[in-house]
Amino acid sequence: MRVLIAEDDLTSRIMLQAVLSKWGYEVTSASDGEEAWNVLQRSDAPRLVVLDWMMPGMDGITLCRKLRAQDRVDPLYILLLTSKGEPNDIVRGLEAGADDYVAKPYDNEELRARIGTGQRVLELSREVARRQKLQGVLEMAGAVCHELNQPLHVVTGYSEMLLIDLDESDPQAETLRIIKAQVDRIGELTRRIMSITQYRTKDYLGGRHSIVDIEEASSGPVG
Amino acid sequence: MINRRILVVDDEAPICEMMRWAFTNAGYEIQIAESAEEALELIKTYKYLVFFLDLNLPGMNGIELCRNIRKNNPLTIAYAVTGYASTFEVFDCREAGFDDYFTKPVEMKTLFQAAEQAFQKLARWRNE
Repeated sequence: MRVLIAEDDLTSRIMLQAVLSKWGYEVTSASDGEEAWNVLQRSDAPRLVVLDWMMPGMDGITLCRKLRAQDRVDPLYILLLTSKGEPNDIVRGLEAGADDYVAKPYDNEELRARIGTGQRVLELSREVARRQKLQGVLEMAGAVCHELNQPLHVVTGYSEMLLIDLDESDPQAETLRIIKAQVDRIGELTRRIMSITQYRTKDYLGGRHSIVDIEEASSGPVG
Repeated sequence: MINRRILVVDDEAPICEMMRWAFTNAGYEIQIAESAEEALELIKTYKYLVFFLDLNLPGMNGIELCRNIRKNNPLTIAYAVTGYASTFEVFDCREAGFDDYFTKPVEMKTLFQAAEQAFQKLARWRNE
């Protein structure tokens, strides 16, 4: 998992980067609040953030508040590093939007445990978002298919009955067969859409958009 | 000789007209209701042995309508014809007393087969 650390003290920043890397995290570093803010505006920004409270310019608390005021698609988990250990200070930090804090000088194992908690929270929020997306897809699919199936049933019925009445040699029979075959194909597609069980997408128009991959999201190929 | 009267209940008028035309051409006597309430009124006057019921109806839904029909007419056959398919819906239908379940769009030949099997079963139950 990727982590952003924001720490103005060079020695502390290097040590923090070293232990996090040793624990398997991919670390991005910032030396002040402004730099950290810029990193977190990128679309590929880390979601796990370790902020020092006391930094020149934009401090950790101010950065926290600015980040929480944003409407972010992917939420952040913010761990505040602080030498301020008074209960009031802790409350200030949490109210500013930090998810957790670690008092300096910090114990490495405690830091590791709290960052591990942040990782679990982010993974859980990702899973919740995935399930919400799937629920949204299922609800929309159900509504659309239900409405489409009504006129499809009418067209299927009439084309079927007309084919019974038409002579095989009638040229219009072949046209009607083609119409019925395409309507049957739409019917099969709505049946496939109603059996979606997973949220799977594919690129559309060379990756400019994503659409639900009906074949992957349900089971078997579409006819 | 049992009557071959079918009641189709669906709130979509084009579906009702298509089913009326198709079943009439196939030799059945068919009546249409566009709501469960209208169906229950018709049932007071006419004796139906086979029902094709949409599930998503305004007012009382098709599941509840089937329960009503079953309560007073156990020797009938009821089929669900619905625009949305889910496992939970099939369970609800069986629990309400439906004999089978079809998802739209369904071919009329499938519904004709279901109607014919229903009347044969009913004739056997009545020892005719």
